[in-house]
This record gives sequence, structure tokens and C-alpha cells, in this order.
Amino acid sequence: MADVPLISIRDLKTYFFPDEGIVKAVDGASFDIPRGKTIGIVGESGCGKSVTARSMLRIVERPGRIVEGQILYQPDANGTEATAIDLASLPADGRQMRSIRGGEIALIFQEPMTSFSPVHTIGDQIVEAIQLHTSLKKREAKERAVSMLRLVGIPRADARVDEYAYQLSGGLRQRAMIAMALSADPILLIADEPTTALDVTTQAQILDLMRELQQQNHMGIMLITHDLGVIAEMADDVVVMYLGRVVEKGPVDDIFHNPQHPYTRALLESIPSVNATPRVKLPTISGSIPHPYNRPTGCPFYPRCPSFMPGTCDKFEPELIHINDRQDAACFLYGGVPAGVGR
Amino acid sequence: MSQAMDAGAPGGNGAASRNGTNGTNGTRGQGGAVLEGQPLLEVKNLQKFFPIRRGFLQKVTGAVRAVDDVSFTVKKGETLALVGESGCGKTTTSRCVLRAIEPTGGEILFRTESGSVVDVAKLPHGQLRPLRRQMQMIFQDPFSSLNPRMTLLDIVGEPMLVNGVRNRQERIDRVEQLLKLVGLRPEFMRRFPHAFSGGQRQRIGIARALALNPSLVVADEPVSALDVSVQAQILNLLLDLQNELNLTYLFVAHDLSVVKHISDRVAVMYVGQMVELAERDTIFAAPKHPYTSALLSAVPRPDPRSRAKRITLLGEVANPAAPPSGCYFHPRCQFAIDKCKTETPAWEQLTAGHWVRCHRASELELPGIETGLPGTETG
Repeated sequence: MADVPLISIRDLKTYFFPDEGIVKAVDGASFDIPRGKTIGIVGESGCGKSVTARSMLRIVERPGRIVEGQILYQPDANGTEATAIDLASLPADGRQMRSIRGGEIALIFQEPMTSFSPVHTIGDQIVEAIQLHTSLKKREAKERAVSMLRLVGIPRADARVDEYAYQLSGGLRQRAMIAMALSADPILLIADEPTTALDVTTQAQILDLMRELQQQNHMGIMLITHDLGVIAEMADDVVVMYLGRVVEKGPVDDIFHNPQHPYTRALLESIPSVNATPRVKLPTISGSIPHPYNRPTGCPFYPRCPSFMPGTCDKFEPELIHINDRQDAACFLYGGVPAGVGR
Repeated sequence: MSQAMDAGAPGGNGAASRNGTNGTNGTRGQGGAVLEGQPLLEVKNLQKFFPIRRGFLQKVTGAVRAVDDVSFTVKKGETLALVGESGCGKTTTSRCVLRAIEPTGGEILFRTESGSVVDVAKLPHGQLRPLRRQMQMIFQDPFSSLNPRMTLLDIVGEPMLVNGVRNRQERIDRVEQLLKLVGLRPEFMRRFPHAFSGGQRQRIGIARALALNPSLVVADEPVSALDVSVQAQILNLLLDLQNELNLTYLFVAHDLSVVKHISDRVAVMYVGQMVELAERDTIFAAPKHPYTSALLSAVPRPDPRSRAKRITLLGEVANPAAPPSGCYFHPRCQFAIDKCKTETPAWEQLTAGHWVRCHRASELELPGIETGLPGTETG
């Protein structure tokens, strides 16, 4: 097995520069995406999970741009790090990036309602995607589109291919979206809140479908969601983000049963669960997520943190360090306090 | 359509134990006329059909049966949760209860503060306003439900103004009190909504709903637009307020984890009909309708060790404009028999307080959610 991960994100910084100031949407995120596995990115709004995905595909909209860091992409399982492509340094509209985007790396958006063109049939849109990334003729591409729709479980796919997006229900539209994303046989599928707009029974169908498809073609999945239940269900590894930084990462079982970072712990405690005792007070995280212009200095979580250490957490930013052989966390509770801090 | 209401049925005493101290201004009845455990609201055979119009003359060619023969009671001081997937009619039901939309048929019996029972569904508009004071609503989206041009004082004070509190100082005092109650600083009252986060805005919406001391609060997905860490704060607030003010909640939600946390009883809806209604623990541990069981099984658990085999429902939710024959759920039901395809199941009481709409309810053993799994505790 190859050791080089499919994607290795190193110290990625994507900032937005509106007139009012700088928004550090992603501020030094580092993590790897292994081949054929599902990595879950968890976080609340504003944590930078979607901007990270958009940075990988180089579709960050102005006034945002990648200011620092690398996104090393190694499609070849036997390749080395030296031959990896740095997506962050490619021209966003260049030929190489265009062939990767939507081809080798595909994206599913949250809103299946707005992600399709309303004036083209879903078949035409899938055919367009296929022809962009393969050398198939129109008729072959159409056949492929029908077989993709069938693969994702759309009934009467040969008729549905000529329908418009508004004619499909939410669940079917999300399936069509997945069909389009998979039509060019990607190595990595980025799913940004793929089931958030769907009902639970439909969500269960879509998650099952993603798992099945992963088994068939061994693609890597980067699953972005705020729903810890979905993460527990799907992910192999988990990255927890808060205000643009990775605060903890590790295998899913460790994250849920042995969380290290105070934020991860608080987040897990504060969710109501169908397995928990009802009508008792939920432990809460005090305060709310700071406004992006009001980013605290030091550790971004310190104003809400139960383990806040004055003089340390509000002055220095903790680095992501190994807690044990599986988990990393960015927290001064586990050392890494800069030398010379005497308190 | 035959119906027997289980007014004051045994087993519903989860609410009675939370005999909260009464209110802020003492304007509410001192518990004399309205007794604990008595139905505050009794909905009988509620229907709401939306006409489908076609063609140049806009002829009515059919109807979307958004709410179709729904019956339930809400007891004083309890939380009844309405759950179901999008389009199942849970929001329409809650809006009909408030008469925010006109029901097509059925009765909505509401016990007023004075102890008399009125049918909200048939009340002339002129007589609705005094009632509206007693039933209030908390909305889903804290961003669009607050007027951006009004200060908190105006937003929270408006219900009072509309209902005849003309004295400005009186309103200021009450708004101050309300803001404290929901955990906001009274100094905020001169600010505008944009200065607040989602969770804080939801608190503002709650303060507004409580401004007139309502007895029934309809909360339509009050936490689904909030971040996970803020959601817990609002759920705690809702529980605290219920204890403090002895509120009755009709809680509309699709998130079963939230529902499990906050409710006393749960009603499950599917394609405009209620398919099951029971005590919270009964619904979660021993559901009797196959749809409830499938819905529970589809909820992702926040524990990677309980990746269970799911009951995956095939197909799609039926179209309420053209529902299937017989039981609306039969095309997706793994237990369907021939009878289910032709005969509509009745809304029947299986055991005390446990209502089900299924031909096979008494014979099926359906899985619920097993609680107390080893290793479910986190952190």
C-alpha cells in the first residue's frame, strides 16, 4: 500500500478581503485524505469546512483567495510526494485544474434544489459533464448518463434522463447530483452537507448509496457536515474544525469515545441523542461563535472554553500536536506552551 | 372517522409532576379553572385541503390533502411533539391550531383562561384576537422572523401594543423583564436584530412569544436553524421556561433526537395523517407503526459503535394530492398485506394513550431505539 495520501493539506490559509476587513475563513488547516476512505469534516457555521473544500477545487469566490499553504494531490497510488501536484499553486482556470475539477475530484453540494440548471434536462447536464472529462461521443455519453442514474437508484432512469430538475423530488435530485458527480469516475468525492436538506429516511438512503458506491470504485470521500450523527455513521477519520483551524483529528471511534480537545468534548456533550435521558439539562457551550471580524487572539476557542488558562490561551495559538499515536489536538492542555510563559 | 378522545387519560402524568410556580404578572388564572393534566387543546378530525387549480378559468381540479383527519389532545403543561418528514402536514396542523390558516374541517377545542372551551376553527374573526393572546408561536428562522428595522423593544413590545398596552413605560418594564427571562441583557432593548447571533435572535423570538403570557406555545422547528452548540442552550431555555411559567408546548420538529429530549408525548405524521401517538418512551422504545419504526431506525446515532443495520425505506413519500389507496404507507411498508392496499386503517387506541393507524398494529413486534447501549456515554 502506498503511504502518500490522496490529498495532503498543509497549513492552508484562505482569507477573504472584503472592504470591511479580513475574514480568515481557513487559517492554517492541515490534514490528509487517504485513498478509498471517508474522512469527516465536522464543525459549526463559520468554521471553514466549506471554504476548505472550495479551496481544494479552486472555486473560492472573490474577494477570497488562498494566501498560503499547499494542497498536495497525488492521484497515483504508487506516486511519491515529490511528484504530487500542488492544487493551491495551479492557475484556477488553467487546463489542468479544469480537468481535475469535476473529473478526478467531484463535488456534491448541499442544495440539490439550486445546483441544477432549471432550463436544461438533467440528462443534458450530465452528458455535458461526461463529455468534458472523457472522449465519449454524445450518444455514448447519454447511455452512460442513463446508466449512472440507474446506478444511483433512480427509477425509470431512461425516462427521467429527459426530465428537468424541478420534476424530481429532493431525494431524487440529490441522487441525480451524485450521478453527475460520479459520471467522470472521480478518485475523490467531496460531499458538502449532502443530506442536510433531506428528510431522515431519504438521508439514510443517500448515505447507504454513498457507502455502496465507495465499495464499488474505492474513491475517497470527504464528507462535510455539522451533523455528528452522520459523521459517526459514515466516517473512518474525523477532522474537527473551529473558526478556520483544525482543533482535533483522529479515527472516528477515538473522537467520539475519547475526545481530547475541550471543543470536541463540549460539542459531543451538547447534542441531544435518542439514546440519552430526556428532559434533563443539556451541558452547553457558553456564548456563541464569534463574528469573523471579532476573532479572538490566541486559541480561537478560549472565550468559550471551560479549561481556559489565562495568560496562555488568550496570548498564543496552540499548534496541532500528537496526543497519542492516533489523535492530534491543538490545545495547551497537552503541552506545547511556548517557552517563557511563566504562570 | 370514529373518535373517542382520551381526555385525562391515565399514563399522561409526565406533565403533572412539573407543577411550575405560576407566572410573572399573575395575570394567568391561579390554576383554578384549568387543572393540570386536563386537555388544554383538543383537535378533532382536523382537515386542511389546498385546492389545485388548473387552466384558464382556474377550475379546481383536485386537492392537496395536507392535513387529513388529524385528532389529538394536548394536556395542560405538557409538550406534545409533532414529527414527520417534509410535507407530512405537521406545520399545517400547527398553523391551523393557531388559525393562521383556515382549516377545511374539524374542530379545534381550546380551553381559555376563564375555563370555557371554544372551537377555534369556527370562531368569527372578531373573536379571535383575545384568544391569540393565549396561543403564541415561535418560528423556525430567527433571521427572517424579526423585522430588521425594529428595535428589540419594538419587537418584543409589539404584541403588547397590539393588545392594548398603550403605556410606553409599562411596555419597557415588561420587555426588560422578558429579556431577562430569556437570558438577554435588558440594555439590549434599544438595539436592532442584526446585532445578535442566531441563538440570541431565537431568544428574542421566544421573548416576543411570551410577552402576553400565553398558555399554549406553538414552536415550529425552533432549533433546526441553529448551530449545534447553540441548540442546546435554546432547548434548555425552553425547558426552564416551561417549568417556570407552566407553559404548554406544541412542538413541531423533524429531528427525533431533539424531540426525544424535549417532549412528553410524540405524534408521528405521514402524508397528512397521524399514524401514531403515544408517550415519548413508548414511541421510542416500542413503536407500533412500521413508519415510526423505520423513522427511528433512520436517525443517525452519534456513536460510531452503534452503526446498526438500518431499515431503509424504499421509494418516496406519497403525494398528498394523489395518495395511494388503503393505507397511505402501504407501498413502502414491508409488513403490508392485501387488506392494507384496499382498506384505510382507522385511528385506534391500542393501549391507554397509545393511538395507532395500522391494520396490523396489535400483531407486529417492531424495533425501537434501545437505550442504555454499552458505551453510549460520550466524553
